[in-house]
Parts: sequence; C-alpha cells; structure tokens
Amino acid sequence: MSNVNLDRRHLLRVGAVSTAVSMSGWMGRLATAAEEAKVKPKRSCILLWMNGGPSTIDLWDLKVGHENGGPFKEIEAAPDLKIGEHLPKLARHGKSIAVLRGMSTKEGDHARGTYLMRTGQLPGFAGIQYPSIGSLVSKELGDPKSELPNFVSIAPQRFFAQEAFGPGFLGPVHAPLIVGDNQFDGGRGGDIDALLKVADLDRPKAIDDATAAARLDMLREVQEEFASGRPGAVAKSHSAAYDRAIRLMQSDSGKVFDLTAEKKEVRDKYGRNLFGQGCLLARRLVEKGVPFVEVTLGNWDTHNNNFDQVKNLCGTLDAAWGALMDDLKDRGLLETTTIVWMGEFGRTPKINNGKGRDHFPNAWSTVIAGGGVKGGRAAGKTSKDGTTVEERVTPTVDLLATVCSALGIDFEKQNMSNVKRPIRIVEKGAKPVTEVLA
Amino acid sequence: MSVRSRVAAFLAALVFPITASATEPAPAPKAIKDPAGELAAVIDRHLAKDWEARGIVPAEVTDDAEFVRRVYLDVIGRAPKAAEARAFIDDAAPDKRARLVDFLLKMPGHANYFASVTRAQWLPQTTTNFQLQQFGYQFELWLQKQYRENVPADQVVRKVLTVKVRVNDRNQGFRFVQGDGPDPDNFNIAGFYSANEGRPENVGSAVSRLFLGMKLECAQCHDHPFAPYTKEQFWQFAAFFAELNPLTGPRPGFVGPLRPQSDRNAIVIPGTDTKATATFFDGRNPDWSPDRTPREELAAWLASPKNPYFAKNTANRVWAHFFGTGILDPVDEPGENNPASHPELLDALGKAFADNGFDNRTLIRAITRTRAYQLTSKMTHPGQADPRRFARMSLKGLTPGQLFDSLVAATGFREPANLRNQRNFGFVQPGNPRSQFLVRFASNERATETNTTILQALMLMNGQFIGDQTDLARSEILAAVADMPGWDTKQRVTNLFLTAFSRNPTPEELEKFASYVDRGGAKGDRKQALADVFWVLLNSPEFLFNH
Repeated sequence: MSNVNLDRRHLLRVGAVSTAVSMSGWMGRLATAAEEAKVKPKRSCILLWMNGGPSTIDLWDLKVGHENGGPFKEIEAAPDLKIGEHLPKLARHGKSIAVLRGMSTKEGDHARGTYLMRTGQLPGFAGIQYPSIGSLVSKELGDPKSELPNFVSIAPQRFFAQEAFGPGFLGPVHAPLIVGDNQFDGGRGGDIDALLKVADLDRPKAIDDATAAARLDMLREVQEEFASGRPGAVAKSHSAAYDRAIRLMQSDSGKVFDLTAEKKEVRDKYGRNLFGQGCLLARRLVEKGVPFVEVTLGNWDTHNNNFDQVKNLCGTLDAAWGALMDDLKDRGLLETTTIVWMGEFGRTPKINNGKGRDHFPNAWSTVIAGGGVKGGRAAGKTSKDGTTVEERVTPTVDLLATVCSALGIDFEKQNMSNVKRPIRIVEKGAKPVTEVLA
Repeated sequence: MSVRSRVAAFLAALVFPITASATEPAPAPKAIKDPAGELAAVIDRHLAKDWEARGIVPAEVTDDAEFVRRVYLDVIGRAPKAAEARAFIDDAAPDKRARLVDFLLKMPGHANYFASVTRAQWLPQTTTNFQLQQFGYQFELWLQKQYRENVPADQVVRKVLTVKVRVNDRNQGFRFVQGDGPDPDNFNIAGFYSANEGRPENVGSAVSRLFLGMKLECAQCHDHPFAPYTKEQFWQFAAFFAELNPLTGPRPGFVGPLRPQSDRNAIVIPGTDTKATATFFDGRNPDWSPDRTPREELAAWLASPKNPYFAKNTANRVWAHFFGTGILDPVDEPGENNPASHPELLDALGKAFADNGFDNRTLIRAITRTRAYQLTSKMTHPGQADPRRFARMSLKGLTPGQLFDSLVAATGFREPANLRNQRNFGFVQPGNPRSQFLVRFASNERATETNTTILQALMLMNGQFIGDQTDLARSEILAAVADMPGWDTKQRVTNLFLTAFSRNPTPEELEKFASYVDRGGAKGDRKQALADVFWVLLNSPEFLFNH
C-alpha cells in the first residue's frame, strides 16, 4: 500500500501538482474532519486584560470632588451609569456595559494578584495546577474538532506569572495559542502584523507544495505504523495535533490572523497599536467561533504620574474597545459575546507624592459587557473616599462565577485535577453578581 | 466510618519505632555482593507472580536498539548518537546492558539530568514563576553535586531539612531565606526555602508531599475531603518550620520557666486563636531540647531507615521516573482511594532501598535490570494495556530538555556553550533554539499522558531549527550523510535511521525510503529527497517519544 502511495506521488509529480496536494490521503481525511467541525460554539468571551493593575478609580468609579478623586470628570454612559471622561467611544455602548464596583480581592502583588484573578485561586502550593479562566472556557465551550484553537491569547505579558496564563491540570489541549508574546513596548519595536501571526504557521519557503505533500504522506505512514502497536493517549495526541496544525496551515481559518485583509479605515479605527490590532484580531476570531480570546494592554502600573499615564492608556483602550463594540454589534455578535475587562488589582484611592497611585486590592472595579449581561448599571458601591466596599463585596470567585453565568457555563461543574481530585470551575461558595446578569 | 475514626485508623498505621536521634548515624549498608541484581530478581518475582495471577502475557523483551535509546533517555536525558547506538548494538558481550547503565551513571550528563528532573519535581514553581526561578537554579546546582558524588538520598534530604538559614523579611511580602554558616553549600540549599517563599506552611506541605509522599495542602484550610488529614495536623506539621516566622514569644533561656523552643516550634493557625505545636503524624512530639531545633528533630524522624514512608516514597518516585507510572500513583496521594498496584513490591522496594543505604545508583541499576524495564513498548496482548501492570513499557513524552538534547544528538547541531547555559527564565531568547524548545514544549503533564499541541507540531514541521537541520546547505549530519562518498542510497537511509531512531531500518522501511530517494522524491532531486526522509523521521512519534 505504501509503495503504491509513493508511486502515485511520483506520477503526480510529473503532472498537476496543485491538485495532487488536495487529493492526497491526509488532505482527504482533513476535509471530512472540517465538515464535521462546522457546529460553532454558541458563545464567546473576550477578556481585555489590563496588565499592571489599572486605576479603576479613574475609569469606572470616580470620586469627583473628593481629595482622592484626582482631576478627571465623569461622563454619562447610561442613565444609571457614569464613567471616566476619557472613555467617550465606549460610553456610547453604556447600555451594554455593567461595572462591578464592589471588587475586593486578596492579593496586592503583581504575580499573586494575576494568578488569583485569572484562576480564582491563591497561589502558593505546588501541588495543584489551576487552569486560567481561558482554559476553563475553552474546555466548556470549545469544539475539540475546530480548525482554530479554542483559546487564543493576544500579546500577553506573562513575565511574573506564566502559570496564570496556562491550562494547569486541563493540559496543553486547553493551552492558549499565543500570538505577540511579551511585547513590553506595546509592539512599537516590531512589525505588528507579523507579531500577531501564529508562529511557524507558514512552511519554509524552500519547501514547495509537492515536497510538503510527499513528506506528510510518509509521515502519516510512519505515524500509523508506530501507533498501531502502541495504543494510548500519547501517540494519538501526536497525530491529532499534526492533523489540527495542518488544517490550520491549509484551511481558510489560518487566514484569520492576516489583518491585512481588513480595510484600512477599520484598522485605523481600532488604533494602529498592538492592543488595537489585537482587539481587531479578537473580533475576527470570535467571528470564526473561537470561544475565548484575550487581549492584553500593559503599563497600568502607575506608581508615578498616574493621571497622564491613565489618560494616554485610555486613548488606546477607548478606541480599540469602542471599535470592538461597534463591530460586534453590527455583526449581531454582541449578544453572544461577553466582554470582560479586568487587571490584577486596582490602585490606591490616596494619591501619593509622585501623583501616582499604588497597588490596592481592597476596593476596585471590573467590567462585564455584551452577551448575557444586563448593562447600563453598576453593581456594588464603594465609600466616598473609595477605600472600602460598602455594598456587594465581590471577591474574585464571584466575578468568575458571573462571567461563567453570562457565558452559560455551570461554574459548579467539576473537572478532574492533576492530583486526581475533582475541582470545581469556580470554588464552592461563589455567588454570581445576579444584578448584572441578563 | 467517621472522619475521626478514619484518621485514627490511618495514623495507627503510621506509628513506627523511633529511636534514632539527630546525632545517630545511619546504619552502614549491609554487605551484599550484588545488591542491584538481588533487588532486580525480587522485582521480577513480584511482577511475574502478578502477571500469572491475572493471566497477563507480558510484551516481548526489547531489542538492543530500543533498550539503548530508552536507557540513554532515562539515565542521561537524551537519545544516543548514531555512533553510540551502533557501538552498543554491535557489542557482543552478554552483560552489555548492565555495563551500559554503569557507564551512563558515571557520565556528567546523568548528574545534570537527574538534578534537573528532581528540581522540577521538588520545586515546580521555579519553572513557571519568574520571581522564584533563581532559587531553582541555586538548588539545582547543589543537586548536581549530590548526584555527581552519589550522596545517599537520606543524607540529601537531611541536609535540606537541617540547613542553617537566616530569614530576611525586610522586603515586605516576600521572605528571602539565605544560607547561614560556613558551608558554602548552604547558600544553594537555602533556595529550597526561598522557592517556598519562606513560609512554614509552604515548606511543610512541600516536605510532606515530597519526602513522605503525603499531600497535606488541602488540609491547610479544611479537613482533607478524601484523605484522613485534618487542618490541625497540617499546621502541626508546618510548625516544624515555624522558625521561618518572626519570633513572637520570649527568647529561649529568658528568665522564667524554660521553654526549650520558645515559639520556634509553634504556629498560630490563621483565622483562629489556636496555636499548633510541631507534632509528628503519629501524634507524638519530639523530646524537645534546647540543643536541637525543630527541623533537626523532623529530619531525624523523617529521613530515617526506620521511617518506611520515606524509603518507599523515594524509591517509588525513582520507579515512576523509569516506568512513567509509580507503584503508588499519584506518588503523593496515599489513602483508600489510591491503593498501590503491588503493595508487597512497594514494601520490598522501600526496604531494599533503605538496606542499600539509600543508594540511588544501586536502585537505578536494579530497576534497569528488571525484565519489566526491558520489555518493549509494542503491545502484543490486551492484558498489557494497563500501565499499572508493567507488562509492557509505556510511551513517555520527553521533557523539553530531553527533546532538545536529543535533537542536538540526532542533527549534529553545534550548540555553543553560552547558548546551552543561558538561563532562560521561561522566555524565548532571540537566536537561541534551546530556549524556543524549552518554552514551546513546557508541560506539567504526566509523562505517560503527554499531549502534543498545535504550536508544537507547527514548530516541528515549519520552525527554523528543524528547517535548518533538514536543509542541505545548513545541516550538519544530514549534509554529511548526503555527501558521504562511496555510500549507496540504502546506506544513507540507514544512517538517517540510526541517527534519528537509534536503530536500523526494517527491510520494508529501507526499501520504501530508499526507493523514494532513488526516484528523487517529489522534485527529482535525490539529496532533497534524503532531506525529506530526515524531516519525516524527526517529526515522527518514534523520535518524539521515549518508547
């Protein structure tokens, strides 16, 4: 059989090469798999991750008139929702946005806070490797057969807490496909279009279609030969990963990462920076049914000169997020796409001597918008000086339970952990903030 | 059974005679002529009995090629080079397998590989948390020395537990633990404590998990849901490391009734008013004296030949390294839900390990000599499917380091020492292919359940490293094989198999690949066709896994 195959390849080499590629055994199998994979997940989540700890008191819960308030004013996003003045484009979508003003979390250190907010667990013990929220959603909403990965992380800055971005005990199948990794200068140093592409998606230039097809046919044979005597997950996973990788290379799905396909005006609207173009990519991925996409915007660690920095960051955030909301709405995707905005903690209400704000997990805000969300409102309330939560104290697990509920995920469901013990998606006792759930 | 009575029943099993004091030396190893051979025979007997009782026909014994690749990967962390594989396969000596293991144990690669495996197992947080990474490097350096000098396992653990340290908590939020005293090793050993953030509860749970095989973590906050540990026991164990906390009570020797340890053996359970005092799992307290610290008391109790849990747990971890599955598995979750697959074998293994003076190399020699270790991975009987019966060798994924070192061996890539030694902190460094592989292939999965990801497959198929090594102009070994004067196609293909798979091709494989090359592959170019063959071999599961 194998010789027949090679001979056939030999004959085809002489003839029409391009059709030979799509005809080969492997490609045929993939085509069938692609047909089966067309059922899209119903819902998606886009996490806008604000690395460094955003100053939420200047964005979502202003203390105008109080000495802790700083110079920023409020604008109306909805009749019952006022937000910071530097988010005007986003404010137009105020009806879709809910602010959780009662956040009160336990960690004021970047690494530990990042781990806590992204897994719902305190770090510290080596034994249990908790998955990040993206991996949990990938497992619940993802289609194991889809051409695209079920969790894409755009421009993450994992410097302090890599494990907070990983799949933990859910395993590499639910690991994020990362593009634009660790660009601490916001991509200014490189070609953003290239940064946002999947690594190694393109064949080396010297390898033409016919060579590639011949290699894959031979590889398939040695794979099958090896696996036939060695049943089990390891060999199976190898062949499955190659299938999916080749599918991504050859199908149209891989083109989703090519942002040059978008109109110039569209790209401009999102902002010609890594976060802006990352949000555009997130929209394209959600259109293709990817259930979890996160985009990181860094440099929120504003210990000094907070207000100038926050104003600048808001420019980037507002353009990208505003454009994302516009596009999702236009495409009818806002109802099925839940957008979450958060960082590892908030910042001190008291303004320090360098006009900065320091780490503050005690009272701060996160935002949830779009699908499954009752917007135009805030849940929770902080004191006049912003230092304590007076209504609806919201620990991390409550936020994660709220996100899961908006996405239609049963957050009490249990997964088997690496220590062979079932562990809930969100820890027992979590209470979703029902006021903001549709 | 109520939780309380389950606890009592379990603890009763934990009581063992304690007579060793901190100063008593370990008993000298018994003089046995061939302890490894003797232990291998004991293991063989236990497993054969189990196979027979279950009607399992074990797999065939490996051929030399499969064995040489496996044992290189398991003992020094990389696949053999073509010349190494060929030399072994061609060697006619009947005891060559045992001699190969002896040879590998003395290679520097063995100490380095085992140190890195141990560090990854003991301090997994130092692989992923940038802030802790440096402590992992420190500790690994010290472990390298221990494996190089073949320091017995009990002494290694005793040194970890009793190392003199100073706690520097000036940096708010992080306790930096520094080595103290004249021994320069202390600096590196202290990395163990810093990596556990200098917190008694972190160190205590790590020590219990790693050295006794008992995971206590969950009992930190509540009684363990599935195993008989209570929250109180967790903190009583953590209290052995209470000296990492700032001292609160009166100093030892302060005027008044003498309390030998002051507060160095007690810890307040967070959120309560209860103070837990350092207590062994059997409910006993050490005979406190001002001369011995709580950590010294713990070390004397824990790393003792009289403590069967230490010997069994440590030997079982070595077993799991070689088989991919422990006799007790997970290795740190004892209890009614996780019985050992072969309890008597586990007892025998632990006892022999202690009797042999906790000598790692004797244990490795014994395990690699067993019939079970020398079975092929190819299944011939359905009874071999369950990895817990050890009736055929399980497929194991490679660690990122094993993979890259095997790629270096297979491709002849000349890796500059500065790139090899570059600390990567979990990030890709431009121009350093090793760092790319370490990052892309990082995994915390069990070796026998390794998953391949899309990005890994893409990197192997299209990435620059494999691209270069399968490019006639840039490769080392491929170019040499393609250009070797006087070789025919079959010799060239055979050498690619030897370098990638450590074996000769079967006649069918040789025929198939040689005819592909002779035809000139897809482009009518024989050399390019050889590159295609090499690409296929490097992307195949036979290369990418330990089988």
